[in-house]
Amino acid sequence: MNSTAETVPVISKVRLGRSTSSALIGGGIAIVAALAIMPYLLDERFFYHIAILVCFAAIGASSLHLIIRTGHVSLCHAAFIGVGAYVSANVVMKLGFPFVGGLVAGTLAAAGLGLMIGPVILRLTGKYFVLITFLFGEILRMVFVDWQSITGGANGLSGIPAPAPVFAEPKYFYALALLAATACVAVCGRILSSETGRFVNAIRESEQLTECVGVPVIRTKVMIFVIACGFAGFAGALIAHYARYISPPNFGPLESLNLVIMNVIGGMQTLVGPLLGAIFLVLVPEFLRGYVQLQHIMFGVILILVMAFLPAGVVGVKDWVARRMIPHDRRGEQ
Amino acid sequence: MSPLLEVHKLSRFFGGLRAVNDLSFTVSSGEIFGIIGPNGAGKSTAVNLVSGVTKPTSGKVRFQGTDVTGQPPHKLVQYGLARTFQSTTVFGNCTVEENCRRGSYLARYPGFFHSFFSTSKAGEMRQASDSRVAEVLEWLDLHRVRNVRAADLPYGAQKTLGMAISLMAWPKLLMLDEPVAGLSAAEADNVRDTIRKIRAEGISVVVIDHNMRFMAGLCDRILVLHHGQELAHGLPQDVLSDPNVIEAYLGRRYVKA
Amino acid sequence: MLSMLTNPTILGQIVVNGMSLSSIYILVALGFTLLFGIMRVVNFAHGEFAMLGGFAMYYLYAVFSLPWVAAILLAPLAVAIPALFLEWLVFRWFYQKMFQSMIGLLGLSIVMIYSALLTWDAFERNIPAAFDGILRFAGVILPIDRLVTIGVSALALGAFYFLMVHTRIGLAMRAAAQDVEIAGTQGIDTRKIYRVAFFVAILLAALAGALYGQVYAVSPFMGERPLFVAFIVVILGGMGSIPGAALGGLILGFTESFLGTFYGGSVASYASFGAVILLLIFRPWGLLGKPE
Ligand SMILES: Nc1ncnc2c1ncn2[C@@H]1O[C@H](COP(=O)(O)OP(=O)(O)OP(=O)(O)O)[C@@H](O)[C@H]1O
Ligand SMILES: [Mg+2]
Repeated sequence: MNSTAETVPVISKVRLGRSTSSALIGGGIAIVAALAIMPYLLDERFFYHIAILVCFAAIGASSLHLIIRTGHVSLCHAAFIGVGAYVSANVVMKLGFPFVGGLVAGTLAAAGLGLMIGPVILRLTGKYFVLITFLFGEILRMVFVDWQSITGGANGLSGIPAPAPVFAEPKYFYALALLAATACVAVCGRILSSETGRFVNAIRESEQLTECVGVPVIRTKVMIFVIACGFAGFAGALIAHYARYISPPNFGPLESLNLVIMNVIGGMQTLVGPLLGAIFLVLVPEFLRGYVQLQHIMFGVILILVMAFLPAGVVGVKDWVARRMIPHDRRGEQ
Repeated sequence: MSPLLEVHKLSRFFGGLRAVNDLSFTVSSGEIFGIIGPNGAGKSTAVNLVSGVTKPTSGKVRFQGTDVTGQPPHKLVQYGLARTFQSTTVFGNCTVEENCRRGSYLARYPGFFHSFFSTSKAGEMRQASDSRVAEVLEWLDLHRVRNVRAADLPYGAQKTLGMAISLMAWPKLLMLDEPVAGLSAAEADNVRDTIRKIRAEGISVVVIDHNMRFMAGLCDRILVLHHGQELAHGLPQDVLSDPNVIEAYLGRRYVKA
Repeated sequence: MLSMLTNPTILGQIVVNGMSLSSIYILVALGFTLLFGIMRVVNFAHGEFAMLGGFAMYYLYAVFSLPWVAAILLAPLAVAIPALFLEWLVFRWFYQKMFQSMIGLLGLSIVMIYSALLTWDAFERNIPAAFDGILRFAGVILPIDRLVTIGVSALALGAFYFLMVHTRIGLAMRAAAQDVEIAGTQGIDTRKIYRVAFFVAILLAALAGALYGQVYAVSPFMGERPLFVAFIVVILGGMGSIPGAALGGLILGFTESFLGTFYGGSVASYASFGAVILLLIFRPWGLLGKPE
């Protein structure tokens, strides 16, 4: 009754055949690779900038995807990115550590915070988890605003140094960001394809049944949550030292929601989904520059449409079509 | 020899409702033990208490002499105490084989590190567990449907698959919550044969149901639960002819006849 | 601090502030909990309906100079009646789908905020106070506008209570909140119930927004605060529980008034968030809700 199956729709009615799913993954990899090289072909400052933003979004969305795969949708992921960003900026600027020190500290701080709250909030069922993470994100945002000595308050922190002087140039920073994003996505993918991923999927589909075949459900979920928060902190550190300026709205509820949107639009069942979503959500605003409101309205409409008619996201279209064709099989639908 | 499972004065209250009240019983090795009672009698709650899904208000559960009261379910599986559920018995969205793999966490999962890097230890465990999967599927006659999606199986086969998943962990005691509810007579007979096969391997079984006929033909001993309390307890024929039981089941006017 | 507590002026202020905050909070939260209880919809766009209520009040009272009583009566209707179209267009797809409703209605909330921004830009608009002046009563200073807020809310809550307890449709709504399937099998027209519940919920939210907008200011982003309030109140009281919404509103209103007076608004916010998070952890079904 209160299993997580209710919270994250179980969609794959008709299983993707092995060949189609590997074709999908292959296609995804090809697209990503092409996009990765593209800025170098165009060799323009602006394209490097966009590509870097895609890399950040990819880390955020794919790490949130890990949490979503356990059956929980977190609405405070951007706040963890913020923790990494502020910690790294402080470690580098106030304590004088090199960038790598900041990166490690930011990652560990976010992971540590995840470890502190994870064992408590991951006991909640899906809907309460959404609510509590929403509130927790808001608390962290208030902390970012109120803790002036560390965060610079509402004005934010400026003058954060680049990782090294050469990385002040987007062309070279892009190499760093691409490496980081590739590593992060690869680790997420490997976790999900390993035996760990098998039990993560089992937990999402039925927590109770999974617990009763011997899987330590809470421990497994906490482990995934901590890893995901760590990646968020990692992304935050990179963002801080790329943008050189950070302030609370960068890590607010709207940003957390954007990461959810990336997962929702792309599809929540495979890692390809959030990657497509990340590309989409970074590129669209660039094409709609000057129409900021319209952009947001469009994302909102997409969110409504996808949730109402296509909860599996774009990657789920195939399933959705198949389901429409086979109307007699309605079990498992919400 | 001490009994496999000892339940001592176990109680669970939900607010004012005494779902299970002062329940005691024992199950010995190789036994098929039945718990029977009308709807809402507290049968599922009793199984939840023993398997750690629900924490007891008071009382003790001992398994092979060890006190396991209040331990979480995944710990109890390590001790050898497994169960199935009344409603969600299988992972509907994946194949029969994958269902069994998901059931073999203890045998299969080498830890995060080994599985991430797919070390030789992980490979060995995977092989061992895959052969166990094949063995259990063969044993319960599910090998022919091993690539079928679980939700597409007939209802009876789903119940059997639920048992197969639980058997992956080599339990010493298997608790089945209403394994034949909603099944046709023929399917129920199949499930009964399966339960006997499981017992023949030396695994004790606790079965819950409210179908007296089914239970009488299967169980060595039966406990009748009513309003959370024991109403009768003993050999099937004795329990089923107990006037208290007949009254609880059929109403007072049947007692004399 | 004790001496401050015994000071009748400060005490009176805390009580009046607490009452007026509570009454607005209850209005917001009642609608939210009604939508959740009956349709299993988590309305992340609830604050935006309050925002529209604020704008409606702004136009009716400040721009069109309607008498205050007419404005406060018409503003909620001006929001709730067109909102029925949104019910048809958006909401009905999310009934009984809790998870999808959260994310989908977050989308609706964004659409509404940014549409408002396109229409009205980001500046805050003030609605002139209808009642300034104070009432002195036994040494306690009572601002009249606060008293009016309390009075209007009390009337709305009374009407709501009457609807729920003494009318057929109210009875049907309560039955549906208990169990929609059973209500459906007993011949209750769920589609109609949903529409009425939606209408009432939006009416209450818009009224709260109108009152709130007059005390503070009106802007496209003003819905954020009411949404948080609805969240906190409903979690405090128990999701879907109507008495819970009332209790939660009182607790939150008085806590904020009390802590806000002595320690400032920021401490009050942390305290209420902290309390709600603790409650979610130890008693996720809230003070008056039922565990699943
Ligand atoms: N989590 C719970 N919270 C409150 N009451 C509960 C809970 N679980 C069970 N109950 C109540 O405890 C009583 C016993 O329920 P239980 O599910 O154990 O009965 P059962 O014998 O398994 O019935 P059935 O034959 O319908 O499966 C019922 O009245 C039920 O409503
Ligand atoms: Mg039961």
